[in-house]
Amino acid sequence: MAEDKTNAVRESAAPEMHFQAKNALAIVKIYSGRPVRIMEVCGTHTHAIFRYGIRSLLPENVNLISGPGCPVCVTETGYIDEAVFLTKKENVTLTTFGDLIRVPGSETSLAGARANGADVRIVYSPFDALKMAGDNPNREIVFLSVGFETTVPAELLCVKRAKEAGIRNFSLLVANKTMDNAYPVLKDSADAFLYPGHVSTMTGMGIYRKLQKEGISGAVCGFTADEILTALAVLLTKLGEGRPFAENCYPRVVTEEGSPAARTLIAELTCPCDTVWRGIGVIPGSGLALREEYAAWDAAKKFSVPHLSGHPNPACRCGDILRGEIRPPECPLFGRTCTPDHPVGACMVSSEGTCAAYYKYSGHGDAAGAFLGR
Amino acid sequence: MEDVITLAHGAGGRKTSALIRDLFKKYFENEFLTADDAAVLPAPTGKMAMTTDGFIVSPWNFPGGNVGRLSVCGTVNDLASMGAKPLYLTCSFVIEEGFPVKDLDLIARSLAETAKEAGVAIVAGDTKVAGRGQVDGIFITTTGVGEITPGTDLSGAHAKPGDAILVTGDIGRHGCAILLARDNYGIEADVTSDDAPLWGTVRDMLSVTDDIHVLRDATRGGVGTVLHEIADESHAGISLMRENVPVDPSVAGVCGMLGLDPLYLACEGRMVIFTPQGNAPALLAKLHEGKYSANAALIGEVTSDHPGRVVVTTEIGTQTLLPEPTGELLPRIC
Repeated sequence: MAEDKTNAVRESAAPEMHFQAKNALAIVKIYSGRPVRIMEVCGTHTHAIFRYGIRSLLPENVNLISGPGCPVCVTETGYIDEAVFLTKKENVTLTTFGDLIRVPGSETSLAGARANGADVRIVYSPFDALKMAGDNPNREIVFLSVGFETTVPAELLCVKRAKEAGIRNFSLLVANKTMDNAYPVLKDSADAFLYPGHVSTMTGMGIYRKLQKEGISGAVCGFTADEILTALAVLLTKLGEGRPFAENCYPRVVTEEGSPAARTLIAELTCPCDTVWRGIGVIPGSGLALREEYAAWDAAKKFSVPHLSGHPNPACRCGDILRGEIRPPECPLFGRTCTPDHPVGACMVSSEGTCAAYYKYSGHGDAAGAFLGR
Repeated sequence: MEDVITLAHGAGGRKTSALIRDLFKKYFENEFLTADDAAVLPAPTGKMAMTTDGFIVSPWNFPGGNVGRLSVCGTVNDLASMGAKPLYLTCSFVIEEGFPVKDLDLIARSLAETAKEAGVAIVAGDTKVAGRGQVDGIFITTTGVGEITPGTDLSGAHAKPGDAILVTGDIGRHGCAILLARDNYGIEADVTSDDAPLWGTVRDMLSVTDDIHVLRDATRGGVGTVLHEIADESHAGISLMRENVPVDPSVAGVCGMLGLDPLYLACEGRMVIFTPQGNAPALLAKLHEGKYSANAALIGEVTSDHPGRVVVTTEIGTQTLLPEPTGELLPRIC
């Protein structure tokens, strides 16, 4: 009940944001300071910014850059190859969220593997996969665990429950990541970050306070037009003050402390590891490996999956796009050989992908590009 | 009768006869439905419209309707979209072995009640039973014949710059109700399907004016897909005012949580109307009196700019393109 009440209180705070947004729009429109680059790291933000046509409101000296905050987009090609490898093992059913299934691997996507007879199922929750394991004790159920702090806790809870209930035919193929170590790598690409709203509900503001001490600035942002405009106005105002900052512009949902329970679960079951971000490279300490005592639920160990590095299409410029160095229309494949129907890179597949957003809202990159804004 | 449908119910023997007599005939009875091999029908005097549609919704029963009601609404609404008064309907059932007879009874009763409401006679039918696992519960196909209202000339290619675009009610309820009924997301919200037979709504509109260029019922792809279709077929631009599009708050809430756009959620009881601007006020006034169109709204207009595209004026006054329907593999819903 206490939690319900808290949510109700947070929701009722929304009209105040609406009031602020009127001033926010004015602040953004008249900004005349030095040119600034603002990176939205969350794919949902990228899509919301297009959906509300926010780029068309920005003055010329404010540049919005889409960063690497879509978990599917930063999953390396080799991971898809490892998943495909698993489908060839006897008795294995692979389960995954739907957005991963069409991501190209070196040879084939999981959709391609399924068309050739592999047992790949789309689930809506890792708990569906755990239930499948309980219902089918003679099959090995592997869930593809690809995400940030938002989705990781539910998957770890499944592992914990599997261990408690003695369910040993359930495992995760893990490629989870955390954002906090990615910001220092990206800091030269942007002057400030729009921090992700959903991830921050788990992390709280602590990581942003730490980044602030390292000279990295940003504001946590919600997903309505009002919330995005408010966060942009705060960023532009604070950038003008010239000191690093960490602001919470999504207080109706994100609290200072975040979710300690989720963080405890993550610390209990995983340990940080170096991991490869597609297009960016290895970011030390940005992965979450299952701890040794949970090795029996770690599909990579359980099935001796070899580490595959993958062979992405060399013409695909996803890496430059994920670092905010070019925009999707500058990639030679965009809208030509790479489309949502025939994606070359993950950024064109995922519903949160930057390339998919540009493609959807540009009318395929032709004359209607005018509606994109800059 | 037994509790469940067996293969013998579809084999054409005594069990089939009993099923038809005790269940279908009981509900569908009318002067044209006989035991003969084909229905003998008086022909309409003017032009006819004819259409067919298959219904394989999962789950078959959902808040606000079921596959029986849906299989009438879908077909009579296709006829109504052409300005045709629905006259005759055939329906063909493929039923999975083991399907509960009481559920089939409920579906048949609902189908008959909806047909009665729509003013259409079920004149012929067929029943097949498929082995367990070969179909998912029950599949229904209906074929409808209607009589075109004289003076109407409706087509998706007839939208013209200056036309007002109306929708007969709040959008996306059917798609949302089905998503929730599947219970895959653990979301609870009070959303009922909008499925409804719309010939009465169309008849009311035609009583105001027959100067309507396009009528289209928004089904699987939602209102967004209809707008793209008409922009394409009429080689015209469409300007949509996002704030004017009626959306139930619960549907908006669910869409927010799942990252869906209500413009792309299915409707089963909503028409999109293109008519010269001058007709819009009188049409809206008439629609607001109707059982299934109390929330009708003016949502946009046809322009000569950007032919083939749908441009949205957003809640904050900016303009963006409405993304084209992606054809992503959503679970089947109608």
